[in-house]
Amino acid sequence: MNAIEVNNLTKKFGNFTAVDSINFNVKQGEIFGFLGANGAGKSTTIRMLIGILEPSSGDALVGGFSIKNQSDLVKKNIGYMSQKFSLYNDLTVVENIRFFAGIYGLDGKKYEERKKWVLKVANLENMENVITGSLPGGIKQRLALGTAVIHEPKIVFLDEPTSGVDPISRRNFWDLINELSEGGTTVLVTTHYLDEAEYCNDIILINAGKLIAQGDSKELKTNYIKNPILEIESERVVDSMEILEKEKWVGETSIFGNYIHVILNDSSINEQHIYQLLQEKNGIKVNRAEKITPTLEDVFIHLIEKDSKKNV
Amino acid sequence: MFNRIYAIAKKESRQLKRDTRMLFIVFFFPVVLLAIFGYAINFDVHHIKIGVYDQDRSEYSREFLNGLTSSEYFDIVTYIDNDGEIKNLLDEKTVQAIVVFPKDMSRKLLSKQEVKIQFLVDGVDGTSASVIQNYVNAATYSYSIKLTKEYLAVTGKNLYMPIDLQPRFWFNPDLQSTRFLIPGLMGMILIITAVISISLSIVREKERGTIEQINVSPLSSIEFIVGKTIPYIVISLINASIVLLAGYILFGIVIKGNIFLLLLGTFAFLFAALSLGVFISTISDSQQVAFQAANVTSLLPSLILSGFIFPIESMPVAIQILTNITPAKFYIVILRSILLRGAGISAFWDQLIYLGIFGGVFIVLATLADKKSKNK
Amino acid sequence: MKTIFQFIIKELLQVKRDRKMLAVIFMAPILQLIFLGYAANMDVNIIHTTIYDQDQTVTSRDFIKQFEQSGYFKLDYYVDNYDEVTELLNQGKTLVAIIIPKDFEKKINKRETAPLQTLFEGSDGNKASIALGYIQGITTRFSQGIVTDTRDKIGMKISLSGSLTPEVRVWYNPEMKTRNYMVPGILGLILMISTISLMSMAVVREREIGTLEQLIVTPIKNYQLILGKLIPFTLIGFVVLVIVMIIMTQWFGIVVRGNKLFLLFTALLFVLSNLGIGLFISTVSKTQQQAMMASVFAVMMPMIYLSGFAFPIENMPEVVQYITYVIPLRYFIVILRGIVLKGIGFSALWLETLILFGMGIGLLIFSSLRFSKKIE
Repeated sequence: MNAIEVNNLTKKFGNFTAVDSINFNVKQGEIFGFLGANGAGKSTTIRMLIGILEPSSGDALVGGFSIKNQSDLVKKNIGYMSQKFSLYNDLTVVENIRFFAGIYGLDGKKYEERKKWVLKVANLENMENVITGSLPGGIKQRLALGTAVIHEPKIVFLDEPTSGVDPISRRNFWDLINELSEGGTTVLVTTHYLDEAEYCNDIILINAGKLIAQGDSKELKTNYIKNPILEIESERVVDSMEILEKEKWVGETSIFGNYIHVILNDSSINEQHIYQLLQEKNGIKVNRAEKITPTLEDVFIHLIEKDSKKNV
Repeated sequence: MFNRIYAIAKKESRQLKRDTRMLFIVFFFPVVLLAIFGYAINFDVHHIKIGVYDQDRSEYSREFLNGLTSSEYFDIVTYIDNDGEIKNLLDEKTVQAIVVFPKDMSRKLLSKQEVKIQFLVDGVDGTSASVIQNYVNAATYSYSIKLTKEYLAVTGKNLYMPIDLQPRFWFNPDLQSTRFLIPGLMGMILIITAVISISLSIVREKERGTIEQINVSPLSSIEFIVGKTIPYIVISLINASIVLLAGYILFGIVIKGNIFLLLLGTFAFLFAALSLGVFISTISDSQQVAFQAANVTSLLPSLILSGFIFPIESMPVAIQILTNITPAKFYIVILRSILLRGAGISAFWDQLIYLGIFGGVFIVLATLADKKSKNK
Repeated sequence: MKTIFQFIIKELLQVKRDRKMLAVIFMAPILQLIFLGYAANMDVNIIHTTIYDQDQTVTSRDFIKQFEQSGYFKLDYYVDNYDEVTELLNQGKTLVAIIIPKDFEKKINKRETAPLQTLFEGSDGNKASIALGYIQGITTRFSQGIVTDTRDKIGMKISLSGSLTPEVRVWYNPEMKTRNYMVPGILGLILMISTISLMSMAVVREREIGTLEQLIVTPIKNYQLILGKLIPFTLIGFVVLVIVMIIMTQWFGIVVRGNKLFLLFTALLFVLSNLGIGLFISTVSKTQQQAMMASVFAVMMPMIYLSGFAFPIENMPEVVQYITYVIPLRYFIVILRGIVLKGIGFSALWLETLILFGMGIGLLIFSSLRFSKKIE
């Protein structure tokens, strides 16, 4: 059962195509990851899916309802947490909760129940009368998430929910997302953090408005990078990279801290060639060179660069 | 220090340049408003609708009415024949005044008695009422003298008038009120534009958070404030020049005096207005509050307290002191001196000083407020 | 229903929390009405006068004494040459210069006419003509005194014809106190400014801060959001209204001749029409700054000048008069002055009331329809 079905969804702003004919499906109860650089079209896509931005063409079914014609019905079934903190900073915690609960029609016992839940989730159990603006960032995000799902929607859209949040809070956040998913809620998350992408059941990668990859983490790593990747630890990283890039059998290089990742064009190349090239020929000491499984970041960078080259 | 000020000024200018909507409003509206209001505002009443209750119906009453209507001031719209209708006419504002000729007017005149012509004037629109009062008084007196002269001519005598009043109105010979009001209008438009445009400048940075970056930098409060103000001074000066030019083209307001003094006065005024705006910006923590504060300090005060419409001498003393909170007050004196009378600096040098003090005080206050908020 | 209720609570909570806003919303109207109410005064009480007595005789000094005694004229300057007169007029230090000619007494004794030069600083035409009126009165009385004296001296009775005197009775505002018709006008202005400036920021603010997005994602309906914003501001507007009404009647002692309830009702309609305008501005502006500029330049300033508050609409060019038809304040001022000063009621004011009602509802509906739950 698909919670979300997206068909050739497109959005143009004047001459600029922000989202170019995207197609994908999200199964019910999945945690679905949306990856892409800034400006790639993630937020625009989400805005269309939540019914607040009119698509230029194409349509999507969210919770069974068309975003084009039935956006009011769509909104009843979804929760949304935007990138920018959008609760009222000048209200107290409980005032914010009460307000949004009211809008979603919760009252009486149900309200009390959900209120308690939100407070627990945000770790604000005895702090309901604190002014929201005075809370630390991580707590605010958790409060925003709790409030976004106060009405127990079937589908939840989270737009970069953990940006600027400390690692422990991030972990807690994802515990929460998993909880929701286990309870049957479909969660669509956009994120920059590639380690978070590992937690998703399914991922799509968007670049320049187009969908350029889809699959879970394992699939992405195996399907999209066919060529072996070598990780090289050497001195004079920048020089090493320059030398490597001149070689025919080097596809892409990228620097990871002190290491260099090299995607090879030729699968017959191995570590020996590296030692030969750098150490023997150029006098750069190589500590380590070994084949690795590509990380998502490798996949990411590889795909985006490939796509950008295509567009040039 | 000047480098830093220059950096801030440059950034602010760039931001302003990009905000075309705001620039459009700042340059376009003042002129448009000046054009519309300049034509709209004046106290000279013409074609005042009057009703006539003529209980005499003699040649005297008719002649008098002819005199009234031959000028452009009055138009007779209705004749009534009983006093019950008076209340209706005035209540519904069908007419603004009713002329009542008493029943035995002709008889009394011929027997050399005093006759009172009643004018019932709608006092609700007070300004017009007093003007109407002036007119009818003058009209009656002059008709009275005319009658006397005629009578005396018949009997071969001359009316002896001991004193011949020769009034001359300097600077405004036809007593047009427009000329008098335009400086006030200009002052109000300029001060509102200046205060409102700058009052948001600092608050916006507070709301957006970019002010944190500035607080962290070695920029001192005074440098920040001065740097922020400079582009607005430039814009306001350009704006003021456009407005003055429009005043000349549309209303023939010629600068009778020295144009450099005018620019100096305008500069002093803008300095005062902008420093008020900056102060508002530093004490507000949201754009909403800044807007309200800007409104309260510049909109109505420059209309009512500045001497634009209501003469300051007529106000209670306590209020007269209060009028110093709007720099428009000083500017209007300067404008009127230069534009209407062509006076030299001796007529308004004190106003320039007041403006300087005003501006200085608020810049200092703004700096203190900014320092205080940085230390929070 | 519940949704709207929650919304209202949220809005009121936000207002309550913002101390600075509260101060401005409620204190500003109070202070403004009081100060401006005292300031708005057209009565000419003090006429700064210069005397140039070229005659220096008993008669001339007697004449001058008349001015002293009138109470209006403040004889600030006694000069003895024309240059000083010119100087004083140029600098605006005196309103009128009275120049008594050299052979004033001689001519009067010989029953010849003495010319009396009166030079006015004519910039403020209104003031100048009022001053002229006073001078005419004084001069006529002085002349009559001379003529009657003359009669007695010679022993012959110069019989003048019957004389006409005007008796002006001002209705609704017999003492012609400017305050009585200005304070209601200012009340209308203050009400207009507070409602529009608050409402115009209402929706835009949430858009700029980002909370609007969170709202339109929810199933909240268009009209619920609009009402949720509208009702709290109507309440606030009503409170401000009551406060200023109390000040008008209690502090200024202006008696409402007509029906107070009807006044409150029409004022509420007026508030609604202004809220409609503010709402419209809020829905078409992308930033708070735009909303501010639009509301000040395109709405509030025109309303101030063209509403008939100080400048009579009848004096405006036709084209401009047409513009005034869309200004709610215009109708409210008529209603306000009508009820307060004239004591008239619905039967005379039904048209204005209906128009206000129509404007209010019309604007509100139009703005809500325009507001879509989508962003672009």
